[in-house]
Amino acid sequence: MANEAEETVRKLSMHKGVAGVIVVNGEGIPIKTTLDNHVSVQYAGLMSSLVDKAKAVVRDLDPSNDLTFLRIRSKKSEVMVAPDKDFILIVVQNPVE
Amino acid sequence: MPGPVRRVKHQAYGAKSTLYSYISYISVMSSMSDRKAELERKKAKLQALREEKDRRRREKEQKDAEEALQRASAASSLDSRRDLDEMLSSLGVAPVKDVLSSLTSITSLTPPQTASPDASLPHTDKSSLVSHGGPKKPPALQVVSVQSTDIPPKENVTYAKQTQTTASGVSELRDAHATDYYVLTFDGDGARQGDEEEAAFHGKLPPGILPHGLPTVKEVQPAVTQAPQEKKDEEKEKKVRELSADEKQTIMLSPEFQRFMSKAGRVIERALAESVDIYTDYTGGGDSENALDDKSDARLSLVRTFYDERWSRGRCVTCVDWSAAHPELMLASYHNSEDAPHDPDGVCLVWNTKFKKTTPEDIFHCQSPVMSATFARFHPNLILGGTYSGQIVLWDNRVQKRTPIQRTPLSSLAHTHPVYCLSVVGSQNAHNLISVSTDGRMCSWSLDMLSQPQETLDLQHRQSKAVAVTSMGFPHGDVNNFVLGSEDGNIYTGCLYGQRAGVGECVEAHAGPITGVSCHAAPGAVDLSHLYLTCSMDWSVKLWSQKENKALYSFEDSGDYVVDVRWSPTHPALFAAADAAGKIDLWNLNRDTEVPVASIQAEGGVAFNRLSWTPSGTHITAGDDAGKIWVYELAEHVSQPRHDEWSKFVYTLQELRNNQADEETDRLSLAASGPSSLTSLTSLASNPLR
Repeated sequence: MANEAEETVRKLSMHKGVAGVIVVNGEGIPIKTTLDNHVSVQYAGLMSSLVDKAKAVVRDLDPSNDLTFLRIRSKKSEVMVAPDKDFILIVVQNPVE
Repeated sequence: MPGPVRRVKHQAYGAKSTLYSYISYISVMSSMSDRKAELERKKAKLQALREEKDRRRREKEQKDAEEALQRASAASSLDSRRDLDEMLSSLGVAPVKDVLSSLTSITSLTPPQTASPDASLPHTDKSSLVSHGGPKKPPALQVVSVQSTDIPPKENVTYAKQTQTTASGVSELRDAHATDYYVLTFDGDGARQGDEEEAAFHGKLPPGILPHGLPTVKEVQPAVTQAPQEKKDEEKEKKVRELSADEKQTIMLSPEFQRFMSKAGRVIERALAESVDIYTDYTGGGDSENALDDKSDARLSLVRTFYDERWSRGRCVTCVDWSAAHPELMLASYHNSEDAPHDPDGVCLVWNTKFKKTTPEDIFHCQSPVMSATFARFHPNLILGGTYSGQIVLWDNRVQKRTPIQRTPLSSLAHTHPVYCLSVVGSQNAHNLISVSTDGRMCSWSLDMLSQPQETLDLQHRQSKAVAVTSMGFPHGDVNNFVLGSEDGNIYTGCLYGQRAGVGECVEAHAGPITGVSCHAAPGAVDLSHLYLTCSMDWSVKLWSQKENKALYSFEDSGDYVVDVRWSPTHPALFAAADAAGKIDLWNLNRDTEVPVASIQAEGGVAFNRLSWTPSGTHITAGDDAGKIWVYELAEHVSQPRHDEWSKFVYTLQELRNNQADEETDRLSLAASGPSSLTSLTSLASNPLR
């Protein structure tokens, strides 16, 4: 079963334009990553706190609502974040021409 | 055991020493008997030592007493003693000599008594010393020393931690209440009066608690501020911490992680596949739209293909089905691959036509090649497959499992031959799974119980040999009557239930095995459900009506085995046929019955095996023998019916019948006049074979 998860990560990282895939646990620690360690830790920490904040925003606006997906588009890249109860999946994408 | 263990714990200095002493205690227990013997020996030795000591002391004391006597006798003269004796005797006391002798007798008696406690102390010391220095069993002896250590400091340490933490939480709460309360009740001065209203909200504590909490008003703040600070510190520490490879592995193996990955992976994949650029700037102008215009000219154009390098390569597509609940989901079953002998023989993939992602939505597999597959109607999560072995397997896409969650038994009660036909027939409340194998056995299953079929029918025509069924069709909206295509080229019609359940009629239809049967699928104002198409390896497609035993028309445009034929689900006169040369023909009977309205040849020299329409009728999908599914888009004016198509189609059918009648009469007249006319020969050649 574990290789199914690895397969998913591999599949995503093979996708055109994808720069890296990081799986982060609830404490903001990277579990699986295709980027180098330093960058992964940085992404993991920053993104998990952003997810917490975004979650709070969504819930404050409507307590019955919940955050499901987060896309951060910047000049240089796009970060897609799929948060869940215990884990966060982060995909960094470079713009595709 | 619990008693000694507890005792040892109490006496331990720390967690480690507790453990150590516990272990050593166990070793003591185990070697108790040897040690007892040893102790006995030592005791005896000590007894001997003690006795010797006592003896020596007694001798010494006796000597002392004698010396004292000698000194006394030497020092004092007889006279003086006599004086003294006299004086003493006058007082009624025994003479000095008697007293002295009695004293010596007492001292000689007392030493053993007083010595024994003295000796007993060294005895214990010595025993402990001996055990310390015991050469044979040092750990065992250490235990004894541990026993003599004091308990309280250790206990304080362990309990202190726990009680502190738990108490801090509790006390925090209590303090918070307490402050409000006390402030209000006791310090209720003019300044505090405003708070009294608040106090009412916080509820009243029982009167007994009041005196207790009174002075602790100021303590609350430190307690509150300290706790978050501690938490923050902890968080900081956590962030620095990095997980070990083992910890990561454990997390990755947890079912929660698996579930998350499959869910989030799908979402991200879809998001990645969408290449829509929301920042498109139209002010600059672009030429890209022209390319689309070119494409729209074609009536049939390839839009995409579904192919998975790992799971579908080299596997012939055996069946294609569409989900009723999610019309964008397509189920495709695959035969085994000779290139991948280690992978499972049977594979089912669920493809998503809505998103541009190129990987399958779900992957399922089983041991035997899957010959037919269908989404279980009315159960959006279940997928059924009929295998080459005869088993029917059931997958569930809610389960994180690629292998079937249920399968039917391989027994004489069910199928033992390949199941080529599988269909869920009925309504929401009463539906069955109908499966037919090539030995002519038809089974009806309840999806709730796949352990045995609810009904079995052995399909035979007039008690002759079994019908080798290759394809099956149920007329639209019908749950009882069916049409079967067989290997011998005949069509069999029959019904599932009633007195005459089984095969009813047989029509000699084709000169080769029938590869596909398709019942009319586009419901409209006119009931056309009696129409069906068959295709065969004899290179032809034929149009039939259940009301007649003769083909209404034969389409013979193809130059290879026609492998599948399908009516459009939306257009009454439109159908598609695929052949083994990789060509797809699109026929619109209202336009033309002689030539297809559109044809397309797949590149790469593939042979098609299965064909299907999307439920919307705008796309055709064709599965080939190499594991690729080709998706063709129909131009809108081809796929969408005008409102008069149904009545027009009825007219077309009538025309076909008229033509047939004309040809019949022609042939009869021809037979009468003799086969000499050239024109009649050509007309005969254009006739369908009968």
